[in-house]
Amino acid sequence: MLLDRAGTVAPPGYSRWMVPPAALAVHLSIGQAYAFSPFNLPMTRLLGGTDADWTLAGLGWIFSLAIAVLGLSAALFGSWVERVGPRRAMTVAALCFSGGFVVAAAGVAWHQLWLVYLGYGVLGGCGLGIGYISPVSTLIKWFPDRPGMATGLAIMGFGGGALVAAPLEVALMACFPSPGVWQTFLALGAIYLAFMLVGAAVVRVPPEGWTPPGWTPPQAAQVRGIPVAEAIRTRQFWLLWAVLCLNVTAGIGVLGQASPMIQEMFPGRVDAAAAAGFVGLLSLFNMGGRFFWSSISDRIGRRATYAIFFALGLALYAVVPLAGNLGSIGLFVTGFALILSLYGGGFATIPAYLRDLFGTLQVSAIHGRLLTAWSVAGVLGPVLVNYLRAWQIGRGVPPAQAYTVTMYIMAALLAVGFVCNRLIRPLEPRR
Amino acid sequence: MSTRLVLLWLLVGLPLAWGVWRTAASALRLFQ
Repeated sequence: MLLDRAGTVAPPGYSRWMVPPAALAVHLSIGQAYAFSPFNLPMTRLLGGTDADWTLAGLGWIFSLAIAVLGLSAALFGSWVERVGPRRAMTVAALCFSGGFVVAAAGVAWHQLWLVYLGYGVLGGCGLGIGYISPVSTLIKWFPDRPGMATGLAIMGFGGGALVAAPLEVALMACFPSPGVWQTFLALGAIYLAFMLVGAAVVRVPPEGWTPPGWTPPQAAQVRGIPVAEAIRTRQFWLLWAVLCLNVTAGIGVLGQASPMIQEMFPGRVDAAAAAGFVGLLSLFNMGGRFFWSSISDRIGRRATYAIFFALGLALYAVVPLAGNLGSIGLFVTGFALILSLYGGGFATIPAYLRDLFGTLQVSAIHGRLLTAWSVAGVLGPVLVNYLRAWQIGRGVPPAQAYTVTMYIMAALLAVGFVCNRLIRPLEPRR
Repeated sequence: MSTRLVLLWLLVGLPLAWGVWRTAASALRLFQ
């Protein structure tokens, strides 16, 4: 059938460069998840700002739920995605993600918050998880010579999706009668459905045994394919899980608190507009780092790339409090911009690392299981940043210095990550 | 094939470039 793996084998003459934009169409769409915040304030005023209106705390759960379901669904459906192939998986992801917007629109129109949780959080979250992993193994098979660059390009789209969605959402809400939230949800559902289906229509899998013309696999890279059930029982998988979790923890807390943090560390010198600029700059480095570092990893190897992430991240976290004490905004901004590029690079380089260790057989399924590290880091990172700050201020530490302990803890976590990465060895050959 | 390839890259590249441009413009406020 049209959606089956067998029906998507590339015909002769198909360019493998069609696959990265197909993957980008999906990742650019689902990257919208990181741009949900423009809806938050309008959604607290749906009933005219009365006591019956939704609170920001209640609305905050929509995003958290979506990200948690992303990790869970990637882990649950990873093997299914591997079996049915990229086209069916992308189509299902498109239907779930846009269907999530439709259900959430109904929830907003009828003022039923549970329906928004169910729609955007659960249904949309499944679209996020399936969409995130669906192009990974296909890209790795098309680009065995540059797997880091190929998957990095797609995962860069996830970072870039928020940059596109945030201004798009504001523009769409302005087109409809205020506050225009449910109408914008419906419009986004339609736009993303069309965009993701283009990706699904274009994607193809390479014929069995295909390799790029003129490329011969290096002997050292001949890794046997490992099924997911076997992979998750290896020491390498769990070391890699810790590597991803620690790298993400170090970046994700900062990303969420960037605006108040820079304003508190430089009181009177950075206003809200400049802080918004800082957030934008971090997003650009988060996105650029995904492509830059994953491409570098094809040249210097995955283990060396992660060693740079941890060593450089550790040094930067140790230096950033000093920048605050010296009053150097330039040094502070440069430090965090680099830290966020390492954060993005960590996400984008992991599929190629998995390919190196476990082969291409079920790399999407293994990637899906590994993404549970993201869910854990998504809780751990913000908790470390927010609660340690509150604890420091409670002890009478001035707000400008309240982040110092947090940053030293982040540096310590990165030191642990460095050790975990050093401990990763290739799998023993099967006897 | 090459026309489809160019169109496809434009389809994903143009929105991404728009998002990057908008974000870069907001990032510039940090240096003003």
